[in-house]
Amino acid sequence: MTVMRADVTDSRPDAPASKGVRRARKGRIAPRDAARHQTAALSAFLVVQSLGTVFFVGDVIGDLRKDPTSVHFIFEATVTVALVLGLLFGAFALRRTIEFLRSQEAALDVARGALSDVIARQFQAWALTPAERDVGFLALKGLDVAEIAELRGAAHGTVRAQLTRIYSKAGVSGRAQFAAFFVEDLLGEGVASAS
Amino acid sequence: MATPRTSRIQAANGLTGQQAAIAPPTLWDPVVRLSHWGIAAAVVLNALINEGGSLAHVSIGWAAMALLLMRLVWGVLGPSEARFSAFPPNPRTALAHLRGMLRGEKPRGYPSHNPAGAIMVYAFWVVLVVVIGTGLVMTGGATPMQVAADKAAVASGDWSALIKDDGEKRDDPSGFGKGAEDVHEIAANLLLILAALHIAGVFVEGRLMRRSLVAPMLLGAKPGAKTTRRK
Repeated sequence: MTVMRADVTDSRPDAPASKGVRRARKGRIAPRDAARHQTAALSAFLVVQSLGTVFFVGDVIGDLRKDPTSVHFIFEATVTVALVLGLLFGAFALRRTIEFLRSQEAALDVARGALSDVIARQFQAWALTPAERDVGFLALKGLDVAEIAELRGAAHGTVRAQLTRIYSKAGVSGRAQFAAFFVEDLLGEGVASAS
Repeated sequence: MATPRTSRIQAANGLTGQQAAIAPPTLWDPVVRLSHWGIAAAVVLNALINEGGSLAHVSIGWAAMALLLMRLVWGVLGPSEARFSAFPPNPRTALAHLRGMLRGEKPRGYPSHNPAGAIMVYAFWVVLVVVIGTGLVMTGGATPMQVAADKAAVASGDWSALIKDDGEKRDDPSGFGKGAEDVHEIAANLLLILAALHIAGVFVEGRLMRRSLVAPMLLGAKPGAKTTRRK
């Protein structure tokens, strides 16, 4: 399943080859990238905060040795205590954010894996050939005939014929019904009849 | 699809949790990475490039102290693999791990640093504390701001800052200051030796495990490297 593997690579948000696939969902932010940027920014902030805190604590200790009763010292010491507490709370909040993002990513991975397992099993049940399975996966990902042909290095006519065979084996009328076959289970609720 | 979706996800989550428990992270969290590279840069700059006692040397030392303190706080508050509990110092398992490596065995996975790596981490921290502590003794605990102010005073012709320094040294008949200086130098050299060992360890371990240990400390695996995980 060489094409399927390439396909998995393409679905990563930072792979440049996935442009064709992602064009269809313009405006959607890749959640992984956003999460990474967020934790990186929070961590950079934490580093700057620790630098400031350590310099301030050093300064306060210097003042403490000079004159611990001065207003200057008392004021600075209060500010420094607040800084240290802020640093600890910041670190704790960052940990919570990192753990939350990880659990989300894990859940998404599981859902993704489960769906592709379901699809693979269904393809097997329909007795699709390996080439048809590849084309079927790409079609489910929303690639059109031209894009599939380009990815597989095949002629348009070949891909079109393969799609037709897939639809007939699956007993669906066309691409819309083919995609709906897998989405239907996830939606759960039935459709209210018009009559 | 009779089982409810959530329970299936939970069951599968348990599976991935087990898998994650035996493999080190594919990407360390940003705090670990920033402190690692920040301290590495500080050690290289202060040991090899700038002049001891200069404003740059003292400032970088203080920055390294801040990064070290942040990492130690993160060892309590951070995510599981960054916490001390994930890599307790255990010389016996560390030796067993090294013996296995000498025999060329493929090391088993650990949730965080491997036992030998953990010992290396703690060794780094202890020596860093010694270097920073002796550095503080040598400067009399002066912050970079005070060092800069003193240097500016001396530059403008006010030598009282120097006299104060001399006075402190004369108050110290036991040669405590000189001792701190020697320890500072020895510990700094020890840091460089540890760094060389650390790099060698990362190289050997990476070869044996057939995976990069450097990428997780930088930006994670390259796109596409993950595909082998799926069928």
